[in-house]
Amino acid sequence: MTPSNQPVASNVQIEPNIEPFEPSIVGFLCNWCSYAGADKAGAAHLSCPANLRVVRVMCSGRVDPQFVLQAYRKGADGVLILACHPGDCHYKEGNYRAAQRHRLLLRLLRQFGISEERCRFDYVSAGEGEKFVNVVTEMVDTLKRLGPLTLGRTRTRDSAPVNTTRRDV
Amino acid sequence: MKVGVYFCSCGTSITERIDGEKVREGLRKNPSVAFVRGCEFLCSGEGKDFLREDVKTAKPDRVVIAACSPREYEKTFMQVVSEGGLNPYLMQMVNVREHVAWVTPDRAQATKKACALIRAAVARVALHEPLERRQLEACPDVLVIGAGPAGLKCALMLAEAGRKVALVEKSPVLGGLPVRFGELAPALECGPCVLEPILAEVLHGDYSDRIEVLTLAEVTEGVGYYGNFTVKIRQSPRYVDTGLCMGCGECFPPCPVSIKDEFNYGLNERKAIALPFPGGLPNVPFLDPTACVRSSGQDCHLCRDACPVEGAVNFNDRERTLERHVGAIAVAVGASVYDCTKIPVLGYGSIPGVYTSLEVERLLAQNGPSKGEILAPNGQPPKSVALIHCVGSLDSNHRPYCSGVCCQTAFKFNRVIRHNLPGTKFYHFYKEMSVPGKEEYGLYEKVRNDPDSRFVQYRESSDLKVTRPNGSIVVEYYDVAKRQKKVEVDVVVLCAALGPAAESERLAQILDVSLDKFGFFEELHGRTDSARSKLKGVYLAGACQAPMDLQKSILQGMAASGYILSGLAEGRQLQIEPVVASVNTDRCSGCKTCHSVCPFKAINLVSGERGERAEINALLCQGCGTCVAACPAGAIKGSHFTNDQIFAETEAVLQ
Repeated sequence: MTPSNQPVASNVQIEPNIEPFEPSIVGFLCNWCSYAGADKAGAAHLSCPANLRVVRVMCSGRVDPQFVLQAYRKGADGVLILACHPGDCHYKEGNYRAAQRHRLLLRLLRQFGISEERCRFDYVSAGEGEKFVNVVTEMVDTLKRLGPLTLGRTRTRDSAPVNTTRRDV
Repeated sequence: MKVGVYFCSCGTSITERIDGEKVREGLRKNPSVAFVRGCEFLCSGEGKDFLREDVKTAKPDRVVIAACSPREYEKTFMQVVSEGGLNPYLMQMVNVREHVAWVTPDRAQATKKACALIRAAVARVALHEPLERRQLEACPDVLVIGAGPAGLKCALMLAEAGRKVALVEKSPVLGGLPVRFGELAPALECGPCVLEPILAEVLHGDYSDRIEVLTLAEVTEGVGYYGNFTVKIRQSPRYVDTGLCMGCGECFPPCPVSIKDEFNYGLNERKAIALPFPGGLPNVPFLDPTACVRSSGQDCHLCRDACPVEGAVNFNDRERTLERHVGAIAVAVGASVYDCTKIPVLGYGSIPGVYTSLEVERLLAQNGPSKGEILAPNGQPPKSVALIHCVGSLDSNHRPYCSGVCCQTAFKFNRVIRHNLPGTKFYHFYKEMSVPGKEEYGLYEKVRNDPDSRFVQYRESSDLKVTRPNGSIVVEYYDVAKRQKKVEVDVVVLCAALGPAAESERLAQILDVSLDKFGFFEELHGRTDSARSKLKGVYLAGACQAPMDLQKSILQGMAASGYILSGLAEGRQLQIEPVVASVNTDRCSGCKTCHSVCPFKAINLVSGERGERAEINALLCQGCGTCVAACPAGAIKGSHFTNDQIFAETEAVLQ
């Protein structure tokens, strides 16, 4: 899925008074690894973009695809699902379930014309404060490149053609 | 709905980056927020007193605490608000320190983010429900499976602490493998001498009345959960009454049947009625019904006639099925030694004089088939011995790991045979040398300084070839430099890898616990919880969990007993945490999706009027919520993390 090659900046310049686009990101973080990783970033006083709003869940396995869809519906430009590394899940295998659901969810998002890049799944351990910051920073950059998510129009900014027959390879 | 918001400035840690006044202003417009109170250090004694008293007097319906990470102080504040008269689950923490103040240099951005997170917590907390911990009666008794060193120690520790223990052993004798060894590594103490004090305590000690020893027995069924397991045990008939028999051995000589003695790996013969080995405990023979001529219909009763005690030999003994109710289960079924016939180049099974380490243990034992003597196939004491380490180990076609005990075993054999036969030469063939430990290293050092013991490193089993071209054994080998050499020896000893016990798989199925990729019982965590299985209430002791030596096995037996004693206390009920999942049976279609994703086997399918419905055991449920997200019918509710609560939070952070 290739995002629009059209630079966001050129759109923004059409209305000169508009504030630069700051994407809204909702992050579903598991309590034991990723949330702790975010805490670690705080404890290390790393600088992290303020675009992320964390919703804590006990396990990434709790993340229902509906949560992600609702986040887009309510205005999120991107969603992060952060989990324990494979083999480290506090609940043994909830992170595997989360990874599986994420892959399925991407197919659905494509059908809605939402770029896969707007929904990122990654592993962040309790010690990876820096990785957490990197993931958030990359997500902000990605979303700035994609521009705001606008739902409910015939064609989204992601310019993804709706193709229900396409399958993951 | 009256929500009280407490904003902790954490000294200046939080307010340095977040404008408290702006936060207050933002919340003023929020109709649910009854008040916002600031505090400098909410976690200090003073701060907690303030929070407790304020909750008491202001009586908010819900509380939001904007402070540090809930991972740090959530439990503390839950306790404080509950002392203030509010159900602790009606509180929500907002992490404005780690997630906002400490990572957001820009004050305006930090303030905006803090406002959004607090707004979300207010929206979420309004939907919180008061939750209560529940209590459950639990049985303090324990089932220990396997009466090797780990199981014996575990049973003994539990009995000493006052617990009733059922100790199930599949063989007719207790003590596991090491009790059959003449000498134990690393200190060369005799096996029975080390283990018999434990055995004596289990069988006849001050606490033995609390241990129900069941030999010739195996677990056939296990249902239930932590605190309340019901297990079925099948005990085969011994045909000798353990209460009446005095162990005189008069019954063996008249027996007309001789068969290979499996307790000595077929190196000698035994009678159909026999002791596994002299000195084995309990000191009561068993009658092997498949070998006894009575099984073919003959009316032989020579053993009974020879017995001086009326009724001790009892042909009417029958198989029994026992049922026991226990709160916890300790698995201690041990390990097995790798089958050396799977590596044919080493000649085991086809060349006389090639022995496994277990066979040599028995040959070197005073109560073994040769009374402690090891002989070459020509009947003479061996003048040279090849000790092959790492048999099947460090080999992805066999056992990829190092068992960590085989080198010690090889050095032990070297020392013991050297002591008995001073002129013998030894050749140690090894892939890697592994002898850590303060005593173990000494064992190695003695052999290393022995001028008649040589070391040859090889790469893989195909570098070795054991043949017997004309009466004597030849070990051909490539050393690490790939030079082909050979050496003539009289005896070859294969020190093979440890693998899982044969019954591990069957038992794992019965108990519904998992095995790892090697077939060992899988621990909850390799470092911090190696004596716990992944199923709550089932503990692992000894080599059933991983290859290990006697010291570690016994320590794990004690670790398992420690878990049980601290988790299941007599007269104390089990606490059921309220943050768990529950099923709305009216919506459940019985599709079993939840059952397949639950990592804790907490979900059962229960038959009802309308077919099968899922039921979640709140004691086993750990509250991860994986089933909640998986249920296609939305029939499962994850308390304290309900869909509505998460939706409300998500919506509010985005406003």
